[in-house]
Amino acid sequence: MKRTVDVNIPLGPVHPCFKEPARVKCETKGERVIAAEVELGYMKKGIERIMKGRPWQEVMFLAERVCGICSVIHNMVFIEAMEQISGIAVPPRAAYLRVIVNELDRMQSHLLANFSYCYTIEHETLAMYLLDCREQVMDALERLTGARVTCAYMIPGGVRCDIHAEDQVVLRESLDRIEKELHRYASMFGNGPMIALRSRGVGILTPVAAREAHVVGPTARASGIAEDRRIQHPTYKQLGFTPVVRYDCDNYARIMVRFDELFQSIRLIRACLDGLPKGIIRGGGICKAGEIRYSGEAPRGELTYSIKTDEVGRVVEIQIQTPSIMNIEACCHSMIIGADSIADVTATFVSADPCIACTER
Amino acid sequence: MSRWIYEQDLVSQKYRILIAMRHDRIIRQIAADLGIGLQDLRKYFIEHLDMILLENLPARYEAALAAADHGDPVARAVGRALYTTYIPIVPPYVMDSIYRHVDAQVKSGTPLIEAAAKGRAMIREAMEP
Amino acid sequence: MSILQAIKNKVRSRSIHVSYVDVGSCNGCDIEVLACLAPRYDIEQYGIFVHNNPREADVLIVIGAYTHGWEEKLAPLWEKIPDPKAAIAIGNCPISGCCFDRRGSYVDPPVSKHIPIAAEVPGCPPRPTEILNAILSVRDLVFADWEVKRR
Repeated sequence: MKRTVDVNIPLGPVHPCFKEPARVKCETKGERVIAAEVELGYMKKGIERIMKGRPWQEVMFLAERVCGICSVIHNMVFIEAMEQISGIAVPPRAAYLRVIVNELDRMQSHLLANFSYCYTIEHETLAMYLLDCREQVMDALERLTGARVTCAYMIPGGVRCDIHAEDQVVLRESLDRIEKELHRYASMFGNGPMIALRSRGVGILTPVAAREAHVVGPTARASGIAEDRRIQHPTYKQLGFTPVVRYDCDNYARIMVRFDELFQSIRLIRACLDGLPKGIIRGGGICKAGEIRYSGEAPRGELTYSIKTDEVGRVVEIQIQTPSIMNIEACCHSMIIGADSIADVTATFVSADPCIACTER
Repeated sequence: MSRWIYEQDLVSQKYRILIAMRHDRIIRQIAADLGIGLQDLRKYFIEHLDMILLENLPARYEAALAAADHGDPVARAVGRALYTTYIPIVPPYVMDSIYRHVDAQVKSGTPLIEAAAKGRAMIREAMEP
Repeated sequence: MSILQAIKNKVRSRSIHVSYVDVGSCNGCDIEVLACLAPRYDIEQYGIFVHNNPREADVLIVIGAYTHGWEEKLAPLWEKIPDPKAAIAIGNCPISGCCFDRRGSYVDPPVSKHIPIAAEVPGCPPRPTEILNAILSVRDLVFADWEVKRR
């Protein structure tokens, strides 16, 4: 269905604003975007086909390598799905440690997303502040798990290593420092008049369009849809979790939702450290045959694993539905339509926090 | 009419998306529902939808089953919102005429199943080109 | 060595433009390259400037295990970079395919089959300091006395 338009502008696959290769083909009339098409295929590795027929011990590490930015949550959702299939219980201390590591991962992912947005709208000062803040979160993550990106922290029936008393003190100190800095950066972003000009009212995603494309995560919560898989998670229920929702539906709201969730993550980690139960961190168990569809809340939204295993714990069938699929689809078919200029297209695309490695797997 | 530069053939890459487990199930369901061949439907999707929409097919299909056309059995039987806004197979104005036709038939006394089958045939016709 | 060459060496050692291209990785190496920009590692203090424009780049950072989408794109991209140029492979994926080079996958490693690679940094992912160190080592090896070596 080709239409006659003024200019076709392809963005990507190698583009200064995109971290990863994707091609957005915009059909424009003057500067106004009237339609957009996405071309993928630059990152299709076929990881689900590699996972098929392998034991969970291997798939656990492969699941991390679906996406490097949100590797902890991919590991966590896969392991929790295996636990649900096999009926393995997690010791309370391990459940709390999982929340701590997961929230640290969410913090670094949100900081990276906000860095990308600030970098795209050419506010390099704030971008560099946020990237520096992210390094402190990465330090905390490395101190707890032993690696910066691919940690493989969770295993069925518990976690790999414990948190020591001195680590807790260091973690609390760095959280205090990060929170103080983040308050400054959030108000810099929230009250900056130039940022507001580039962000407010740009890239509107109406709740109706969001529901059609089944948008999830901060992108949905910025459009007034209070959906968060953490509400259903038993450990988060104990911690008294409520999702952050904003109703502005624009780029500004999406970035501010991420800032709000950063503070929320800091609160959750503090609550975990305060109420950390004593006891073992590994319960043990045997992975069994079964079939399940299990979801968890990744930094970008709802992440679903559909798994079928056999009696020795090998993965027979697997399909991963990552949040970026829905978010990029809504972004390219709703948000950037009617954008006033091509400069807004890149900013809007980045504000949805696209992750092409997740999308194509 | 301007053309794209650096264009490459995407058929094989789009086909790879469609043969993943959940996509395959959804496509089989839609093919059975509309009564057309599996490969024909895949070809139609590859030609008419872009890659991110193909990736998003399962989520959109499930969102449609959960939310679309509740409270109107005729609209649900022909998939009024499912095949236009959620999975864009036919343009909305064509679907409106199909819906009106089926609705009139149901009101004049034809059983819903028969009328819906007629509606499906009309969707198939609209998909032809 | 002529005075002109000495000046060229001096200038080139402090002005390196980097372009990075992701040919199908898990993103882990991507964000470690981005972390090099952070004030802690501060890639720009060495005169290295990261901006994704191949036409004015000196160093191409290649990340990932070469998927089919890049078949018609990576080699033309490499040709667009003006001489002197060098490509650095970051992470295990461009070197061996890492965990993705299995039966049934869609990747075609190593990247050195498709474009000449000057340096390889193994790791899954390597630390930002290692990436920085690789760029600085390649700078001294490839760009110093380039006109003399070419003869």
